[in-house]
Amino acid sequence: MKHPLTNNYKLLLYYVLFWGVISAINIILQVFWYNVPLTYSLLDTGTNYVLYPLMGSSIWYSIRYNSLEEVSVGRLLLFHFIAASILCAIWVYISFAIFKPFITEDNSFLENGLPSKIFAGYLMYAIYLVFFYAVNYYQSLKEKIKKEVEYKTLLREAELQALKSQINPHFLFNSLNSISSLTVSNPEKAQEMVINLSTFMRYSLMHNEKEMVPFSRELENIKLYLSIEKVRFGKKLNAEFEIDSHCLEAEIPNMILQPLFENAIKYGVYETTEQVTINTSCVCEGNLLKITIVNDYDADTIKRKGEGIGLRNIRQRMQILYNQPDLIKITDHKTKFEVQLIIPQKQAVS
Amino acid sequence: MSEKLQTLIIEDEELARNLLRSYLKDQPDIEIIGECENGFDGVKAINEKKPDLVFLDIQMPKITGFEMIELLDHKPQIIFTTAYDQYALKAFELNAVDYLLKPFSKERMQKAIEKVVHHIQHNENNIEKLEELSNFRPGEEYIDRVVVKDRHKIHIITVDKIRYIESLDDYVMIYTHDGRHMKQKTMKYFETYLDPKNFIRIHRSFIVQVDNIAEIQQYEKESYVVILKDKDKTKLKVSKTGYKKIKEVLHF
Repeated sequence: MKHPLTNNYKLLLYYVLFWGVISAINIILQVFWYNVPLTYSLLDTGTNYVLYPLMGSSIWYSIRYNSLEEVSVGRLLLFHFIAASILCAIWVYISFAIFKPFITEDNSFLENGLPSKIFAGYLMYAIYLVFFYAVNYYQSLKEKIKKEVEYKTLLREAELQALKSQINPHFLFNSLNSISSLTVSNPEKAQEMVINLSTFMRYSLMHNEKEMVPFSRELENIKLYLSIEKVRFGKKLNAEFEIDSHCLEAEIPNMILQPLFENAIKYGVYETTEQVTINTSCVCEGNLLKITIVNDYDADTIKRKGEGIGLRNIRQRMQILYNQPDLIKITDHKTKFEVQLIIPQKQAVS
Repeated sequence: MSEKLQTLIIEDEELARNLLRSYLKDQPDIEIIGECENGFDGVKAINEKKPDLVFLDIQMPKITGFEMIELLDHKPQIIFTTAYDQYALKAFELNAVDYLLKPFSKERMQKAIEKVVHHIQHNENNIEKLEELSNFRPGEEYIDRVVVKDRHKIHIITVDKIRYIESLDDYVMIYTHDGRHMKQKTMKYFETYLDPKNFIRIHRSFIVQVDNIAEIQQYEKESYVVILKDKDKTKLKVSKTGYKKIKEVLHF
């Protein structure tokens, strides 16, 4: 840590002002109350309230390397006693050296004043010690708080990053296999699918950059995703949308819906031979965007073991983003599985 | 080879089936005798048509390619196909089974067929390999369902429906709320892959679902029976170690 006086000009200004005022009061008192000659008063003030503050600022370094927490009390006392003695000796010596040329006749008052001067030197050291320890404590506290905030932001970002869904490799390779098949039977359709897949992937890669997107964009991406899956599953997959057009402007965390549809396909379409309908409906109520996804599933073949990693990740991501519980509601109706996502908006969507 | 390989395609995605069919069309050793869209039909077709070779997708509706193996009376040569399934890949590598990763090339597929032809010519049996494959479970994961076949019908039993399992030499009998099903698996298999929080091996011959225990009775010194929650109040013997395990799980 840098010296607080050289590092913080405001503090330096206060420091100079403080000793300036003390010096002024001292001179006024001495000259007008005690009738001390001005030269002596100036010399006295100079050595006490200018020289010591100059030298005393170096006490900072003695406290920097003697932390109260790390060094034992005995060593601390010994160290500071020695440091105080050295500083005091230098201070008294320089003070005398300054005084000497101005004193022509009797210099006994200097000798008489020596004990109180030395005492004052130790006292000042002690005051400086308390002051610098306080400054040091304050500065490290501030730094700690700042670091903690930085750390928390970093952690939050890292957590969010980890919670964002990645493209499922199973989906990717199966889609590529469909494309491989279409190149033989229907090259035009193959091309269309390559383009759709690219658009979908580009969108999902984008989520490293932006946290929030308009609901309309997210919805577009979901439709793209479903159209790719539709090529694979044909009639088995039936997607229905009931979207209130007012909601399209709403903001939504990006790629938050995709894992829900992926689940619907994994537990719905993958596991049955019948047609599966995925119904997506959406309403805005006040400043809440409510999205409900319902899919059929075959309860006889799958025992849903509570929350899978996909749902858990969404729940955590919502918790970090909105700091509110219960923004995701899961209802198992047997034969139908329902997930409701509630996205708070900054302002009411009209 | 004089005769063509009677080949069956089991794959749920139409486009994937189309591709495989077009690849196989001009293969001199291959004659396609059928295609199935799901595991149920697949098991039936294999047992009835007894093909020499099956292209088998792992991930399918109803039952997976792995579960299908357990239900086969006739064990053909199998070339597995999968898009991406870490668990399956691990199983294949451990058992040195050939598999095709989708999307695959025609050349890659031809190599797999050559290997199969080699196996058949050298009379290499794959039954053991398939058995091992069907017993393989990744890591610590517990099973959540069991597939069984009674004469003509395939049943999927989710583990919560199992009341208890009894050992019958090389087989086990699985008792559910609506009946019982025989399966060719070991007690060791179920003891390992059923979640021990819910299932306890109470005796050499019995594994019981914890929630299904009504009471535990002492009928001789250091000898206990478990009484189940059903109409007949089925009594099952408990061994000494079994009793200890029950105590641990139920905390008494």
